[in-house]
Amino acid sequence: MNQLAKSKIDPPDLKQSLKIMIVQELNLVDVNPWEIEDDDPLFGDKFGLDSIDAVEVVFQIKAHFGVVIRDMKEGRKVLQSINTLSEFIEKHRPA
Amino acid sequence: MNDSTAIEIPFHHRQSAHCETGVLSNLVSHHGLEISEAMVFGIGSGLFFGYFPFVRLNKLPLTAYRIATGGIMSRTTKRLGIRLEWQKFRSPGKAMAALDRMLEAGVPVGCRTGAYWLSYFPPRYRFHFNMHNLVAFGKNNGSYRISDPVFPDPVDCPAEDLAKARFAKGSMAPKGRMYHVAHVPGADEMDLAGAVRKGIKEVCRSMLRVPGPFIGAKGIRYLAKKVENWPAKLGDRRAALHLGQIIRMQEEIGTGGGGFRFIYAAFLQEAAPILALPVLSELSDRMTEIGDRWRDFAVIGSRICKARASESESYSALAEILRDCADREAALFADLEDAVR
Repeated sequence: MNQLAKSKIDPPDLKQSLKIMIVQELNLVDVNPWEIEDDDPLFGDKFGLDSIDAVEVVFQIKAHFGVVIRDMKEGRKVLQSINTLSEFIEKHRPA
Repeated sequence: MNDSTAIEIPFHHRQSAHCETGVLSNLVSHHGLEISEAMVFGIGSGLFFGYFPFVRLNKLPLTAYRIATGGIMSRTTKRLGIRLEWQKFRSPGKAMAALDRMLEAGVPVGCRTGAYWLSYFPPRYRFHFNMHNLVAFGKNNGSYRISDPVFPDPVDCPAEDLAKARFAKGSMAPKGRMYHVAHVPGADEMDLAGAVRKGIKEVCRSMLRVPGPFIGAKGIRYLAKKVENWPAKLGDRRAALHLGQIIRMQEEIGTGGGGFRFIYAAFLQEAAPILALPVLSELSDRMTEIGDRWRDFAVIGSRICKARASESESYSALAEILRDCADREAALFADLEDAVR
């Protein structure tokens, strides 16, 4: 996963990588990565994720993609869906 | 105000990490004094640490990473010579009429509100907090134009919802409080460097020398001791609840991340040229590293809360990180105090 994420990934693959990362790192045993739609709200009832899980996602985004989300307020906007997350990573990923 | 007449004062909305610092920064900038959120936070001596097991929030002990709400605004305005005029009301009708009069006069107005009643908050983000600050800067068709620093763009709020929020009941009820900038000193009247220095000195004092075990670097060590004992004393479920509360206070409640440590690092960076003290830039880097250590605490803590932790990610490991944070903060604030002496 780390290798995948650090290599040059085009946006559709980036989204798949994010789905796999979220399912694996958050131990979502009853969620298949492919069930996550690109615009599904990540936090809330559907996947049962909350603000405590957001801390882990922020950490994993830094570990896998080298992109830092310092502020959880910013994070709230970025972590809405796979689409918003991938847009943010594309914009801020180190060259 | 005749509702058919739209009013929109040209007001530059900037999103911020925290409502009190964001509103003051935006209001003062509107009056010609460009000042960042970080600078407001630093001059107002916003940074703090306190662990108060006898004060309960949601039935769990209170951990504070910043000074009490309202303190940053009062210290910053006093130190910079900015005058805010405050009003409070008994009657919602009079409070809303007073707001309308200010808007008609072209003056953006800060309001204290109960965030729970602000209908532009998505329902699951609403919470009972009666010290939420926002700026009203226009009105159209019975709705107010609002600059709420928590949001990326200005929002609209129906008059009845804003009235309800301004008169929210409960602890620290806002009682219709509103304020506007009455005076901003010119550059020649203002002692920016003096204000920055005072802001820094007060934080150093609270982090290093407040008596008792609950506050400052001592407070962080006190929390470390408590955290280590939680599993045995409280059991896994209650221990996780206590831990979750700390993580939320640190990373979520308008902190800018790392329990306000990242905002304070930004302040030190800005303060370096103002005080002509390059060492503050180095201290800013150290503060960022400390914020990262607090974030390590949050990440491991979140794994424990969610039963994802590895064997080494334990309450003892958390206590060690806290002790490291305490040592680093004690050293940093001692060096900072020396630098501005």
